Amino acid sequence: MTRKHAEWLVLLIFACVIGVVFQQIATSMTEQGIASGSPYDNAAAYPKAVAILMSGLLVLAAVNVWRQKASGPRVSMAQLARPVALLAVFACYLLALGTLGYHLSTPPMLMALLWVGGYRRPVPMLIYGVGISFGLAFLFEVFLKIVLPGGIWHLNIPW
Amino acid sequence: MLIDSLSTGFGLFLTPLAFGLTLAGLLFGLLVGALPGLGPLMGIILMLPVAIGQPPIAAMGFLIAIFVGGSCGGSISAILLRIPGTPLAAATLFDGYPMAQKGRAADAIGIAITASALGGLFGGIVLIFFAPLLASFASGFAPPEYTALAITGLTAIIVISGGSLIKGLLAGCFGLLLATIGTDEFSTGYRFTFGSHHMLNGFHIVAVVVGLFAVSEMAFQIMGSGLTRKPDIPVVRANFSSILLTLKHWTNLLRSSAIGAFFGSLPGAGGVISSFTAYAAAKATAGPDEKYGEGEEGGVVATESANNATVGGTLVPSLALGIPGDASSAVLIGALLILGLFPGPTLFEQQPEIVGGVFLVYLASNLMLLVAGILTTPLFVYVLRIRKSHLIPVVLLMCAIGTFALQASVFDLWVMFAFGVIGILFRVADYPLAPIVIGAILGPLLENNYRRSLLISHDGHWIFLDRPVSAVLIGINVLLVLGAVWFALRQGKKRTGEDSGFDQASRAPEI
Repeated sequence: MTRKHAEWLVLLIFACVIGVVFQQIATSMTEQGIASGSPYDNAAAYPKAVAILMSGLLVLAAVNVWRQKASGPRVSMAQLARPVALLAVFACYLLALGTLGYHLSTPPMLMALLWVGGYRRPVPMLIYGVGISFGLAFLFEVFLKIVLPGGIWHLNIPW
Repeated sequence: MLIDSLSTGFGLFLTPLAFGLTLAGLLFGLLVGALPGLGPLMGIILMLPVAIGQPPIAAMGFLIAIFVGGSCGGSISAILLRIPGTPLAAATLFDGYPMAQKGRAADAIGIAITASALGGLFGGIVLIFFAPLLASFASGFAPPEYTALAITGLTAIIVISGGSLIKGLLAGCFGLLLATIGTDEFSTGYRFTFGSHHMLNGFHIVAVVVGLFAVSEMAFQIMGSGLTRKPDIPVVRANFSSILLTLKHWTNLLRSSAIGAFFGSLPGAGGVISSFTAYAAAKATAGPDEKYGEGEEGGVVATESANNATVGGTLVPSLALGIPGDASSAVLIGALLILGLFPGPTLFEQQPEIVGGVFLVYLASNLMLLVAGILTTPLFVYVLRIRKSHLIPVVLLMCAIGTFALQASVFDLWVMFAFGVIGILFRVADYPLAPIVIGAILGPLLENNYRRSLLISHDGHWIFLDRPVSAVLIGINVLLVLGAVWFALRQGKKRTGEDSGFDQASRAPEI
């Protein structure tokens, strides 16, 4: 993947955003009666104006990317492996958080991230995972009165 | 009025919670500043969810102290490791590292902390005198002026901070559109909610900011090498004699602080530009016996006093007009809004005690920096020994807990994650992230005042040119954009081979 590929992807995201703005104005906002009328009633005019400005900029940006001769250094799949693994571990953690709760899902997540970072000593990994997880839970739950997710078994520590 | 504001603010600041959180924020700021790759913005973002559960002055004290400490902390790793902890400290290593090589690491760190604190206090004086003046001038502003001001704030940050004009504007527009998600304040209709009750209030700004900056930064950090390496750094103890060493360079200190405060008050200029400018000015006025770049004390004084004075300058437009000077102050404005406070002239008129309290926490955090910074130097040297492989999981966990704590919502966590992915993509494509946040924060101010302007106007959009202040601001915007286009075209002509158009102007890294 090169910077040029990433630039095209970002432009695709912007194009989708612009598309969603016009689609929502034509459907949901029109149905609600907020896509026309005075500045007080017309909630669509401002996002529409921003989307039109964005469309113009998008065309200029696309021309710029298309004219680029050099596309910057290529990022190999091996280089991408670690950030992709980090995002995958983090996504799994967010999925598990609601079901298993904070105390069951956090130590494995921390240990997995240590492993992704290249650390390979199992016992320190376990101590780190459990220690950091409980330490931060103590700080947030005791001092800041934040109730962390307990999951389906409602696993919360009565500190 | 200023005295009243400060005296009432004293009552709010002199509580154990506010005082304790200011000190804690300062130490945390020094810590995130010292660790390469983090910095004041990341510190503020990580602690934002914690702060917004506190009383206003305690919360602002905590966040402003992180800003102050983080702006100084980068010098520690610049001096010891030759790696600036933040881009703000990049110019500090020119003379700080050679000083350490000559066995004067403790002096260099002591001077950096002292110059930061004194520069910060200079910035505080600028803040205390100029913010009320600016707020008083702006108190006569009506919706057209606020509309033009919001556009100026956004345009100035995109144009002055460098980088691609088109990319900056696209990112800013993206931020403006993000701010429209949820219930419309005028018509109470739903925009871009897709029938989801989670979206009725839009995306939580903290979840967006944490994802864009913190999650994407960690993904980038993990790509680096030497994650499990433990840096071997000797323990260094700074001492109070460095205050005298710093004061020997008092003209340099004053000049650099003034440069820092001036650049801070310009939206988009920021600490990196001010510290390099102050360094250049110090070098240009140096005597024949001063060898800048070879371990000259004056080099450290110039850069560190300038980048911390910038913080005070940045807070002037942020507090007086609600227009952020950079990404960090944008997040501070976001925090104020979440706390139910609206920065701008109204805040100065209706809640002077809050303004006074903010002034005091800013001054106090700089005074604390002078004392606590020097005393705790060995602690930050120990922190620099932490392996990155151990740091990244903790930062991500703090992102997750902090974002969950906002509204006890797993939806916010997914928003954070999605914006993390967007942030990674934007960084790879060299899109600036700050305009997204500033657009998202200025968006409601812009839209509400734009629609109000049209409601009170008899001539439609001409109202923006009928009123002198608004017309001048619109003119400034046009000049800014034309100037940037002209500059980009000139740069484009000079260039051969590489990318074309507006994409090449160098941009200071986001902090």
